[in-house]
Amino acid sequence: MNDDNGWGRLQGRAVQQQIVSFIEDRPAQQVFKLSMEGVKQIDASFSSEAIVAVLRRYRGTKGICLVDVTDRDILFDLDLAAARAEVPVPVWIDGSIEIVGGQPSPGNREALQFALERHQAKAAEFAEKAGFSIANASTKFKQLWEQGFLMRSESVADSGGVEFVYQRIG
Amino acid sequence: MATVLRPSECTLLLPKGWINPRKFEDAFERCGDALGASFTTVVVRIAAGTKMTIDVILRVLSFCNQVVAMTKRILLVFEGGHEDTGYLDRMGFFEHLPRSVEVSPARPLFSRAALHRGGNATLVEIERFSGTVAAEMSLIARLGAAVQHSCATRGDVAQIYSSVSTIFSELINNVAEHSKSPLDGYAALQRYQRGNEVRIAVSDSGIGIIESLRPALAAKADPAANFNDVDLLVEMFRKGISRLDNQDRGNGLMVSAAHAIQFQAELDIRLPRQRTLLKPANDQYPQNMAYSTAGLPLLWGTHLSFALKLA
Repeated sequence: MNDDNGWGRLQGRAVQQQIVSFIEDRPAQQVFKLSMEGVKQIDASFSSEAIVAVLRRYRGTKGICLVDVTDRDILFDLDLAAARAEVPVPVWIDGSIEIVGGQPSPGNREALQFALERHQAKAAEFAEKAGFSIANASTKFKQLWEQGFLMRSESVADSGGVEFVYQRIG
Repeated sequence: MATVLRPSECTLLLPKGWINPRKFEDAFERCGDALGASFTTVVVRIAAGTKMTIDVILRVLSFCNQVVAMTKRILLVFEGGHEDTGYLDRMGFFEHLPRSVEVSPARPLFSRAALHRGGNATLVEIERFSGTVAAEMSLIARLGAAVQHSCATRGDVAQIYSSVSTIFSELINNVAEHSKSPLDGYAALQRYQRGNEVRIAVSDSGIGIIESLRPALAAKADPAANFNDVDLLVEMFRKGISRLDNQDRGNGLMVSAAHAIQFQAELDIRLPRQRTLLKPANDQYPQNMAYSTAGLPLLWGTHLSFALKLA
């Protein structure tokens, strides 16, 4: 951004190009943190282009979150724009993560909360805690990953098979 | 067969006292269809002691531009003389008024807006922007700075600044997308000390946002294409509607309304042939609080006015 305010689609598109180019230049990197340091205000049009469109583009392939948010008020327009587009935006504030914009379905809220509270989560762990079947817990985590709430990687299960590990973003 | 003499002149008489959008419409209706009918001369007669709210000033300015663009003759008569032109001059009204508009008794010799720009905390000069090209963002910064200056002593100045800037940004950016007119658009705001109100106004001279949206909605078979005009307007402000198949678009009015509702603002929307007033209730703009009048005299454009109430 050229100054501390982000106004309008034109400026948003210019920032979007910079962010996309930064990400494309680092194909091996999985997580990107967008720093909001020094940003005073961003409107909905800017947010749509510079943040929401980028998160949608990389949904399921890269994890992108916002950091250095000192004033929650600057998220007001982003929240509205991302909610309408059904794109979740992970934001780190005071050491904890929260999701603005798109929200999970009521049935997946508990699973998301479980995953956001720890560095990584497995379906079996959530199934045990919440009293769901492993298959049910797996479906919830998979949906949350597909919708952009979580990241996913593979690991080897105790049984020797493949097991998915879900991580919060950032 | 009888010959009917068509009047070639119509007069818009703005009476003494405060003229808000409702009173302006009353006067505009009495004047006849100045733009839509075959009048060749339009006289705008401003009674001595008339005070127009900022949104009405922008509507009158856009109206004058449109009369000139239709190659009609237009005359602005200030019955109170120079005493009544001072305030408009200070806002920059005459800077933006086309040279071909005749002014009686006379245009100011020099612009007091240019001389004192930014010097009055309760008054902000009119900003002009293109009807077809995206506005420069410095314009938003100027309007934002103006409201900061105007509300500097208030504890909630940061929130006012944030909301006013966003509303201006979204509304002004909408103009280039929907106006489809080469005529300029205008933006201004004013804080009214007595009513503790900030009024934000953005006007263009385009085809109107409904006319801009409807064909695109029909083309993409959007269910909103079947809404009546009032329902469509309310939907734009409540949920956002885009002419494009893109959920990232069409949220400018919705976001503006989300800011406006925090100040319990009334939203006044004048389109080419209709005017709609959206009143807040229970922190939203419900369908049953939308008051609309159709069949009005022609005034091209989308004229938006947000009256923010300061606690």
